[in-house]
Amino acid sequence: MATVVTAQIAEEDATQGGVLVREQVGLWRDGLRRLRRNKLALAGAFYLIFIVLVALVAFAWTPYKPSAQNVCPVEFAYADGISAAHPFGCDPLGRDILSQMMQGAQISLIVGVGTSLIVCVVGISVGLLAGFSRGVLDAVISTVINAFYGVPYLLLSLVLYLVLGPGLLTIMIAISATSWMDMARLVRGQALSIREREFVEAARASGTRQGRILFTHIFPNALGPIIVQATFIIPVAILTEAFLSFLGVGIRPPLFSWGAIASGSNTGGTPLNLLQSAPWIVLFPSAALSVTLLAFNFFGDGLRDAFDPRQKR
Amino acid sequence: MPDITKPILEVKNLRTSFFTDDGEVKAVRDVSFDLYEGETLGIVGESGCGKSVTVMSILGLVQRLGKITGGQVLFRGKDLTKIPADELRHVRGRDIAMIFQDPLSSLNPVLSVGYQIDEAMYAHDVIKHDDIRARGVDLLEEVRVPDASRRIKDYPHQFSGGMRQRAMIAMGLSNKPKVLIADEPTTALDVTVQAQILELLRDLNQNTGTSIILITHNLGVVAGLCQRVIVMYAGEIVEEGTAEQIFENPQHPYTWSLLRSMPRVDTSRRERLKSIEGLPPDLIAPPPGCKFNPRCPFRIEQCFSDDPTLETVGDDDRHIAKCWVRMKRAYAEMGAATLTDTRPGAASGVRPPKTLVEKLEDSREIEPDTEAVGDLRGS
Amino acid sequence: MLTRGTLIYIGQRLLLIAFTVLAVSFAVFAALHSLPGNPFVNEKLHGAELAAQMHLYGLDLPIPIQYWNWLKGAIHGDFGVSLAILNEPISPIVFREFSVSLMLGGAALLITLGLGTVLGVIAAARQNTWVDYTLTTFAVIGYSVPSFVLASVFILVFGVWLFNVTHGAFYYPLNWTGTYGTIEELSIPAIALGLYTSGQVTRITRAAMLDVIQQDYIRTARAKGLRQRIVILRHAFRNALIPVVSIAGPLIITIIVGSVVIENLFGIPGLGKEFVESILRHDYNIAIAVFTLYAALIGVANLLVDIAYAAIDPRIRY
Ligand SMILES: Nc1ncnc2c1ncn2[C@@H]1O[C@H](COP(=O)(O)OP(=O)(O)OP(=O)(O)O)[C@@H](O)[C@H]1O
Ligand code: SF4
Ligand SMILES: [Mg+2]
Repeated sequence: MATVVTAQIAEEDATQGGVLVREQVGLWRDGLRRLRRNKLALAGAFYLIFIVLVALVAFAWTPYKPSAQNVCPVEFAYADGISAAHPFGCDPLGRDILSQMMQGAQISLIVGVGTSLIVCVVGISVGLLAGFSRGVLDAVISTVINAFYGVPYLLLSLVLYLVLGPGLLTIMIAISATSWMDMARLVRGQALSIREREFVEAARASGTRQGRILFTHIFPNALGPIIVQATFIIPVAILTEAFLSFLGVGIRPPLFSWGAIASGSNTGGTPLNLLQSAPWIVLFPSAALSVTLLAFNFFGDGLRDAFDPRQKR
Repeated sequence: MPDITKPILEVKNLRTSFFTDDGEVKAVRDVSFDLYEGETLGIVGESGCGKSVTVMSILGLVQRLGKITGGQVLFRGKDLTKIPADELRHVRGRDIAMIFQDPLSSLNPVLSVGYQIDEAMYAHDVIKHDDIRARGVDLLEEVRVPDASRRIKDYPHQFSGGMRQRAMIAMGLSNKPKVLIADEPTTALDVTVQAQILELLRDLNQNTGTSIILITHNLGVVAGLCQRVIVMYAGEIVEEGTAEQIFENPQHPYTWSLLRSMPRVDTSRRERLKSIEGLPPDLIAPPPGCKFNPRCPFRIEQCFSDDPTLETVGDDDRHIAKCWVRMKRAYAEMGAATLTDTRPGAASGVRPPKTLVEKLEDSREIEPDTEAVGDLRGS
Repeated sequence: MLTRGTLIYIGQRLLLIAFTVLAVSFAVFAALHSLPGNPFVNEKLHGAELAAQMHLYGLDLPIPIQYWNWLKGAIHGDFGVSLAILNEPISPIVFREFSVSLMLGGAALLITLGLGTVLGVIAAARQNTWVDYTLTTFAVIGYSVPSFVLASVFILVFGVWLFNVTHGAFYYPLNWTGTYGTIEELSIPAIALGLYTSGQVTRITRAAMLDVIQQDYIRTARAKGLRQRIVILRHAFRNALIPVVSIAGPLIITIIVGSVVIENLFGIPGLGKEFVESILRHDYNIAIAVFTLYAALIGVANLLVDIAYAAIDPRIRY
């Protein structure tokens, strides 16, 4: 009887393996189909593609140089606001808002993706270090992670950015400094769970070196969740950059970011002045930023709904 | 003693469906039965045959995708499927109480056990509100929860599985209901606790005359407790009779194979499920004819085209079965008594008609598995 | 029920809070003191005069020693003197502003939780109807639109276009008398701050409710004959609150961060406005004090959240 049972189980496992592969293919197909049916997610994807295109175009061409002053006569800038030559109007120094906003798209994407990359490097390193060392080092890292969670992230980024000095790279570093913890925690958890799994045990038993185990076994297995987490950082970074710039301590001329344009800090004004005199200068970049974040969220939700089998009924 | 002349609950032609993305799952198909005062009625059948949905329909508890599509549930002359929601609410828990399979998840984790018992009484006006707190403790003592006056303040997670089921029973009894529906009350519990809970139900039935509907996988439980038994398959009643008739003289091949594979107390659930070859049919599009035909060793040609109806067996009109062949004939003509090969069609030698073969194979027609058959033969 | 274990747990948490506050204050202290520029630029001091001034405020000492001196005062609630507004003690200023921020943040938190849970329950109760789709879409829009954008729009609408109706009561209490918190002053900024996070609460509540109403104990509650309202509010909602409470910590931090921008935008005399202004005028002592207060506030808030967690869910004991 016992042998029968084990034989049956072995057989079942074997078929399950096959089923699993088939199911995964099905899952991908189903997921893509469901994603295509999700109008909001699709709209989000298209908008993001549009923004990427705008950003790419802005490398080669903008209607005017974003920082060029008096491209429209200052006396018209406020009075006329929007015109054919300057569809989004001009700022008080006579600079073209559309050109600035195209550059803003670039900055948002660069900061978003760049921060995400830095977070990957830092988070993965710290997470692996903690997951592998366990013991005291792990405890210390975990405490540090917890401490970072207890800090008002925006303010810490702000202070750090001031210390590092203005610039695209420094703002990415400053934002990364407060958003690496999720990634580290995730990788640590993955490392801890994966290192217990059989094939890693087997590799260790057969004398494979730790570094090798890391790259041949642990990394490929943890890749999925890491990618998800990495994409998740992008809108967070975009938002944080906008916040900092809006406060007047982020991106500064000659570079223009959406948050900075909306704040009026480029011209030494305040959002309040702008809202009273030329509200579109606040509204256009605000809208661009909001819709971008919305698109990220719609698309992200759509992805999750489409590929999470629990959603099916 | 059960008064078999007065049905307290009459279920007539009940139909319940779930409207899913894949189609209409007809989970209960034209089910009729009576429950008499003071009796214990067993409902048995494989997993997924519609036992739970049937009793949930009685109290209007199927939700979301599920809907009662036809039939009546008569209680005290009123059709529970038609009465207003507020009236139905007062039947629930006051006249007809229900306890569920999984005591671990059936109690609310954030409310204390005592609170949940008391609440059942406050919801109706059977017990004077001043007496409710004291009665809560009494009830827990009645269902033999040790140290009841202290434990009543505990939360469900502080109770063991058996104690939680006792608490569920106490809750069910709190308003002195006429009918108690117990849906697999012991499946999730270990064997010794099972026996205690069943004993509790038996005492309850004998001492208070509460009618009980007992749903179970376990035929042994039915034998010990129920006066009458209903056997369900694929959303239908396939056989009904007194416990004696069902156990001594089963007439439906499905009942027969259930009894043959009656589990010993120590067999695991997985083995039990394996004991009848094949799986219950797809309830969206079941096979034509008798729904048991893909698995039945005694099937004849007619079984693939015509669906039998429930007919009286012999001269006792309490015993009814839904089968063209019946075990009487199977014993006489197909050697059921000595049958060792229980694969589909094995006894009668009838294969499905050409038009159906493909479809049946698609729905997991069984390949001979000598080991499993050998095991079955042995039991 | 306060068991020994609970007390030990709370003790540990307080230790962690203390550690965080220390680490944060030191990091910020060191960072700000290493910034180029000094608080005396306005006074155009140079050479020996500047050195004397720096010496007077202890700014010429090594940073760890400066920090130590600062810490000794801070433990007694004395955050030193302002470097820009000469010799003005900081503590009364920041504690007064703290109360303003607490008012604003508290109102926003109430809006967030109240609106979020109510809408979440409604969306779940009407699952897959247009009510549900509308509410969930608005929830996503809610947490996609940054609070400063929402605030800008509010200022434009209520402060510029409708100025004659509102008289701008909610922004720039220029002649601030030291009290803050009337409905007129609070409403618009608190809504701008709270709406952003309420979107998240709506989503989580909805998902949790949908999950909970499928649980067996909800079936039990209905089988007992309880009223639908009681089933939803007492049985389902209480359980659905558990995941909501679990995000309350991050929620509070988001509100604090948002309040910095909102305060600056509306000119509300709270900690957030003070923080940005003090940094821009190199008034480190104030910035450090604000930062330290924030870190302590977040720590305590998280501890309270955990206690609320245990209060809602009896399975959780520390
Ligand atoms: N919510 C639902 N949605 C779709 N189908 C359902 C749902 N609930 C039950 N069903 C279907 O109804 C059929 C009967 O289910 P039911 O729960 O009554 O079976 P059961 O006899 O009680 O089985 P078990 O012994 O496992 O409890 C099942 O085949 C199942 O697929
Ligand atoms: S003999 Fe025919 S009718 Fe009877 S159970 Fe088997 S298949 Fe159904
Ligand atoms: Mg069931």
